[in-house]
This record gives sequence, C-alpha cells and structure tokens, in this order.
Amino acid sequence: MIDKAIPVPIGRVVATELKPSTPHQFHFWTPTDTSIGIGAIVKVGGAGSAEQGAERVVYGVVTEGFAYSDLATPLHDVVGAEGDPARVESPTARQQIRLWTAAVLRQTPEEPLQPVPLGQVYVADDADVAQALRMDTYLYSATPTAIPVGLYTSAGRDAPVYLDADFLLGPEAAHLNLSGVSGLATKTSAVEFLLASIFAHFPAHKGRVAAVCFNVKGPDLCFLDQPADLSDEDRRRYERLGVPSTPFQRVQLYAPLKADGVNLNTLRTHPDLVDDVEPLTWGLQEVVDYAEVLLNRDDIDAKADAFIDFLRDRVLGRTFDDGFGTTHRVQTFADLDRLFRSIFDGLEVISGGRSDTWRTHHIATMRKVRNRLLNISTRCKGLVTDDGPSSDLPWQKFQDRTVYVIDIANVDPLGQDLVFARVVSKLREQLERRELGVDAVVVFVDELNKYAPGDGPDTYVKKMLLDISERGRYLGLVLFGAEQFRSQVHRRVVGNAGTQIFGRMDMDELATPGYQVLTPATKSKLATLPIGELMVRHPHFTQPIFIRFPKPPVLRGRDGVERFPPAADVPFDDAVVRQLVRLDRRVRPNQVKDLIADREQDDVRRALATVRRTRPDDVLAYFRKVLGARVDAEASRPREHQAVPPLNSISDEPY
Amino acid sequence: MTWWHALIDAGAVAGGSGLGAWDLGETATYETSMVEDSELQTHPIPPNPQPLIPSPVSFLNGIQRWSVVAYDGVAQIVNAYVAAAVCRRDDRGVLHATFERSRAFAVAPLDRLSPTLRPVLQQAVPDIEPLDGELVGQPARYLDQVESTVRRARAHLERELAEAATAALGADEWLVLDGLLSRSPAVARHPRALGVIKSHGAQFLDGRGLERALTLPAGYRTSVFAVRGGHTRTEVYSWYLRLWPWEGNDLQYGLLRIEGRADSETIARASALSGWLLAERAPLATPATRWDRLLYPLHHVEEYLKARAPRSPAARSRLPVA
Repeated sequence: MIDKAIPVPIGRVVATELKPSTPHQFHFWTPTDTSIGIGAIVKVGGAGSAEQGAERVVYGVVTEGFAYSDLATPLHDVVGAEGDPARVESPTARQQIRLWTAAVLRQTPEEPLQPVPLGQVYVADDADVAQALRMDTYLYSATPTAIPVGLYTSAGRDAPVYLDADFLLGPEAAHLNLSGVSGLATKTSAVEFLLASIFAHFPAHKGRVAAVCFNVKGPDLCFLDQPADLSDEDRRRYERLGVPSTPFQRVQLYAPLKADGVNLNTLRTHPDLVDDVEPLTWGLQEVVDYAEVLLNRDDIDAKADAFIDFLRDRVLGRTFDDGFGTTHRVQTFADLDRLFRSIFDGLEVISGGRSDTWRTHHIATMRKVRNRLLNISTRCKGLVTDDGPSSDLPWQKFQDRTVYVIDIANVDPLGQDLVFARVVSKLREQLERRELGVDAVVVFVDELNKYAPGDGPDTYVKKMLLDISERGRYLGLVLFGAEQFRSQVHRRVVGNAGTQIFGRMDMDELATPGYQVLTPATKSKLATLPIGELMVRHPHFTQPIFIRFPKPPVLRGRDGVERFPPAADVPFDDAVVRQLVRLDRRVRPNQVKDLIADREQDDVRRALATVRRTRPDDVLAYFRKVLGARVDAEASRPREHQAVPPLNSISDEPY
Repeated sequence: MTWWHALIDAGAVAGGSGLGAWDLGETATYETSMVEDSELQTHPIPPNPQPLIPSPVSFLNGIQRWSVVAYDGVAQIVNAYVAAAVCRRDDRGVLHATFERSRAFAVAPLDRLSPTLRPVLQQAVPDIEPLDGELVGQPARYLDQVESTVRRARAHLERELAEAATAALGADEWLVLDGLLSRSPAVARHPRALGVIKSHGAQFLDGRGLERALTLPAGYRTSVFAVRGGHTRTEVYSWYLRLWPWEGNDLQYGLLRIEGRADSETIARASALSGWLLAERAPLATPATRWDRLLYPLHHVEEYLKARAPRSPAARSRLPVA
C-alpha cells in the first residue's frame, strides 16, 4: 500500500559548470512523461530528501524547458533513416531528457542566501504553494488580508492563490493593471471575478468597500446583477476559492439619457431590467467645475481661465447684475446663454459697439468660452441638460459591497472624459474627507490605451489617472485599469500598479522591452493562454505565477443582450409614463398621457427630473403640481465653489 | 589524379582515409564447418518495411575500467571496475534496466608488496586480484596482464548475468549480447539468444569464403557456419551481416558476426534475424566511434553503466601529458 504522506520526487536538480545552480535559478530533470510544465511550482529538498543540503528547502517556478536526445548531429538522424522521413520508427527510442529551468521563489532559511543545492524535486502541494508565494504571512496571520485571485493548477494541482489586500487595495501598495488581447473575455471577466472575491473577502478591519466601474464598450458591465450559466467545474472552483458563485447582490447602474431626454442611453433597456437603471444627467453647476476637461488645450489660456473663474466665483448660483440693467440668476445652460446674450447685446446697443470689454474680459474671450460651454449641452445632450436639474451618483451615501456601474459606452468622447473626471474627482474629494460612505473604492477603467496613453497630449483624464496611481492608495482610491497594449500605456500608470495581471498577449507586444524579464517559454505560454488562465505578478510573489480563475458569476455583456434584448426607444409620452411608473406603481399611464398632452416637452422633462430627484410619496400628484406652472430651475442656495485640486503637470519625475 | 585513383578506376574498391587499424578483439582461431550451403555464399536480406522485431527484447553489455592508483616501488597497484547490465526494451521502445552487476576490486602483485603496504591494502580492499610478482620488473607486460585480468573479470560478470537473464526470459523474449554467445553453454543453447560480435580478429574462414565475408555488400549476410573451439566447447552457429556499405571505408565497416544456437532453426531464421538486426541500425549509436557496428540498445546499456560507474580517481599529475 502506498503511503500518500511520503512525497514522491518527480525530478532531480542538476548543476554543471555550464549550467550551475545559483541563489536565484536552478535546473532539474524529470522523466519524459511528467506533469511538470512552464509555470509549475516545485520544491527542492525538505522532508523525504536525503540529498546534500536537505535541510534547505527551495521553492521555484518553472520558467524554461529543454528536451534533447543523445543525437550528436541532425545528420545522424538522416543517416539512420537513410534519408527517408517516412521510414518506420526506430525499434529503440533514443535516450532523451526533459531539462527544466526554475526561478527561485523562496528559500528557507532565507539567510545565508546560497545556491540551490542538488536534491530531489517535488511537486508543490497547497502548503508549499502558500510558502513559495509568501502567502503564509497574510493568509495565516491574526488579521488575514488574503483575497483569492484564482487557482494554481499546474502539475495537476488545484491550490488557491491569494493576493494581499494591503497590497491590492492599499495602503502598502495598490492598484491592478490587466493586459491582454481583446475578445478573449479575459480582462473584464477577471475584474468581475476579482471584485466578487474582494467583496467576499475584504477584511472587516479594513472597513467598507465599493466599486465604480465605467462601462466604455457595448454591454460589457451592464448585467452584473444577473447570474451566469456556470459549469460544475466553475462552481467547484468557486467553492475551492471560498467565493460565492452568485452575481453581485447590490448593483446600481447609471446611464445618461439620449438626446430626447427621456430614453436611456444604454443597452440595458429590456423592459425587465430598465427600471434598475438610474439616469445620469448633469447641469451647468456640475459641468463648469470641470471646464478644463471640456476645453481643448489650445483653449486654455490665461484669459479664458480667468473668465471661467469669474463665472464660477461671481456668477453661478448667485444673483448677478450684468451692468446693463438686467439681473440674472445663472443656474442652467439656458440661464448662462441668456446672460451671454444680454452682455453681447449690452455691449452692442448701449456702448454703441465702441467697447469690446466687459468687466475686464475681452468680448472674444467671452465668445470663445460661451461657444465651448454651450456646445457641451449639444454634444453631450442627454448627459448634460441645458436647463434641467441633475441626477447624480449617491455621493456621501455609497454602500458597502456595492458596484456602481456608469454606462458611458454610447456617450461622446468628450462626455466620457467629463464623466470620468468628475466622478473620480468627487470620489477623491469625499474619500479625503472620509464622507463617501465607504473606506475604499475600486475604480475600474478599461481601455487605458485610450485614456492614459504613453504618448499623446496631457489630457485632464490622463492627469487624473496618474494622480490616482501615485496618490490614490493613501485615500483608498484604487485603480483597476485594463488595456490591450501595456507597453503603450503611460509607464507611471502601469508602474504604480502593485499587482499586474496578464491574459493572452500578442507576440508583437511581448517583443517590447517591458517583457524582457520573461523567458521565451513564458512568453510563448502567454501568447497561447487559454480563456480563464492568467499570469499574475504581485509584490509578495518574486516571480510571475500562472493561475486559472472561474467564469465570472455574472452574465457576460453579449450574453446579456441576447437574453435581455434592448428595447427600442419608446415614444416621448410612453417614456415619461415608464419613468413615473417606476417611481410609483400606482401611476396610471392614461392619466400621465392626458396630463402631458399638448405640453412642451422641455416642461415635461423638467417636471420629470424634479419628480425623479424629489421622489415624493404621491408621484402623480407631485408631477401634476410641478407641471402645472413653469418649472423653474432648482432654486438651490448659492454654493461654495468646490475647486478641483490642481493636478500636477505630467512629467517623467514622479516625485 | 593520384595513383590510387587509377587503381580505383581500374576496378579496385576505394578505401577510407583512416589509419587502417584492424579491430582485433579476440584473436583465437576457430574450427568451422558450413551448415547452410556447401560453400560460403552471400544472401541478400529481403527488403521488408515491417521487419519482424521481437518484443520484448533484452540487451546485455558490460564495461571495464582500470587505472594505476599507487606504486610500491615499481609495483603498480591497480584500481579496477567492471560492470554489466541487461536492459529490456518495452513496447514503446524505451529501455529499462532489469539486471545489473558490478565489481570493484584491486589488482596487485601481493607477493611483491612491502610488509607495510600489503596489510594496509588487504585491510582496505576486500576484493583483490593477485598478479604474478615475476612481471613487476617488466611494467609493459605487467600492464598487459592487468588488462587481461580485468577483461576476464568483465567476461565472467557478463557470463553470469547472461545466464541469469536467459533463465528469466519470457516466453517470446529474446536476449542480444554484445560479444560471444559461446562463453556460456547455457546461453549458447538458448533458442532466443544472439551474440553480436563487432571485432573480427578471430579467424573463422579463409580463401574465397573469407573474401566473400569481408567484401559482403550492405544488406547481405553470409551462409551460416558452425563454430567450435575457442573459449568453450559449445558449438554455435554463426554468420556475417553487413549493416552499412564498406566501400570507401574499410573491410570491417558495418560488419557484424552473429552467433546463435547450433540448431537447424537458426539456419531457417538467419535471414529473418538478419532483417531484424538491420532494422536496429536506427537510431545510430553515435557518438560512439564504432557506431557502424554498435547497435543502439547495446550502446545505451554501455552509457547506462558508464553513468553509474564510480568516477576515476581525481588525483592527476600536474605536469602536462606527454
């Protein structure tokens, strides 16, 4: 009877003058039919080994493999086959070798650091994997901070691999970067699984955590609350990792409206699901603080900047006399347009065209700022309302273990920048003040090649991403970024990511200098990684590790649109009915349609937005009330201007 | 054009560019008689893309090593090592060691050693082959004697192992030995044992028969003849087989002499067995120098034994080798 407690060696360390062992690398051979492959974790010495240096235990990961025979030259094979490749196989198999190179993961004792001794090689078991990857320090501590990231499945094993929350979500290190070719369901799936794992294992002593995901492509993140069809194998992996195989329990999805102001600009418009989507609309107040995002670099000169500051400090939300006899209260784009028209008319009529300055601001500067700002409400119509109140994320009321998805896939690029800049700025401000409602927020941004390219102009978004990368970990603001070409993302965004995950990579990308540390075999494996397999680098792991993660517990985007096909845009009155019914099931559609018949659509939109924001007990009555008269813009109290902290200009010097 | 090119053009066969050394091996003279044809003929081995290769097959080979490790005056004290092994080839063509024996011993003229060193040697080495002390004064002859002593020890080991291996052969299993089959009567009489001899110092044929044997074309065998005499009185049947063309090389190139049981069945099987051995040409036993005659499995056994043999003494002269 075989005693399973005694490990069976699968190879032996060999060291020659030409291929010596070093403290960081060793070589070993195995039989030709071995379970060992690139990425396998092995152990040298330890119990069961009677070899020299058996008291020293060395863990390594296989990084390269060689096979060769005793054939002296290829010509001898030609001679043996008499030049005929179709000749019947030789009766005797040539002696051949499987020689492996392994990079040292850990040695015990760690001092003195010595070359790897000759010894027997064993496949690492679960405990060995934990030791090899130094996971023991955060897996078995009094306050564990381990977050499962996947299963180490090489060499027939099935060992969970954990990341350290202190190094994934701060404060020691933070941020995650994912690279991989598109279309293999790797990057998004990996993030979905990892978020589920974080929500299940985020340590209680670290507080509350939430995630904000920007959906920038199709329906990728639109169905995080819907269950996926998981195989038994996937469920077994979830069980092994201790992560529930259920979709996210709390998901809040935000999407801007379309240009009609009532239909949602998202692919999650199936009647069964659309009620869960909150409109995301901003007014002038929300936009003007981020004017720098909206104005291209050439527009930002000192004069325009000064005029925008003047508008922020002296005009917006205040009662303001334009000097030509008209008093304004500018709270919407429409109000702002009226102010500009009043100023331009005043300069033309009252001064007879002789003056071209107003309050020290030149008319050309004012015209430029006016054009840019008012153009926003046109280009981003639906996101930016020209005269309606805003509908925003639940600032200061973020909930624990909740995913906030912001669907900006169909928004103008300028609008995407605006959404990203404002949301991240608000997150940063509120995390700094500890008033967001959670202690840590994971911000998932796909397409870093677009938002933080290594070259190109210094956009506001790129500065923001750099700012998160370099300072976010102190605040609990954690960036999970994904891209196709890691080499083309700004190196400080990539470099500040404590944890890096690689899916299948393009060979051209692997040929770039950033991958020189990988062996040719590791690159080959990366170039052919199957779906669901990843290579992970983490501060505790001294070498990259290959892992397998289960299919995400949520419905994939393209499966979601098949199961829940998006509904066609509904007519204006039906859309209004739908939104009101969503707020109050007692609302009768005919009553609403009668109410809004022959009314201006802008009036209806404003009333609807007011109802949406107020959420009264009797929705229909309140809607009737606000629709009865012209709905003025929200008379909010003059607010203090919340200046966005200045961002450093991008330089190569991070400190 | 050289003068020998003129000869070749006139019908001579081109030789190799080597030194022309003859691989002697054993130099005994044997008594032979034809058992297949009335005189020695050459027989082509019918081409067969699927030669009948028995499975499993075991292969036996041995190695020997010796070196002078100490001197007592001019008396040379030798450290010797001999080993032999049998490897069985499985159905995937992979060889696995099944039998293995080795012997490490000293060779010394005990009667000529000093009273101080002799007990030390006897205490340190349990296995000593004594040599005749009369030869100590003639170092060259002494070393020849050492060589033959070690070779004899190896042959003895191989014979023991061959007897053990043949006794354990399966119903359809064959044993191929590197060397003479006739060393052991038990092995020589086994119906599924073959001896493969690479050295051709022994004289079996003469006249036209010898010429036919030494100029045998590749893929041909000679008639089977009976061999008697030599080391044992056990009769075996034998024939020559050419694995590779000798033209452009030398007369021994690719030439094997095969020994089998002295039985009519051996004659009947000679061509089929030759076809099997021809199929064993691949893979080549390179980088062995005699790869043209060395079957790869026998080469493998030799390499296996070399890998397991103790390393030669590390002490080396610091002076350059002359």
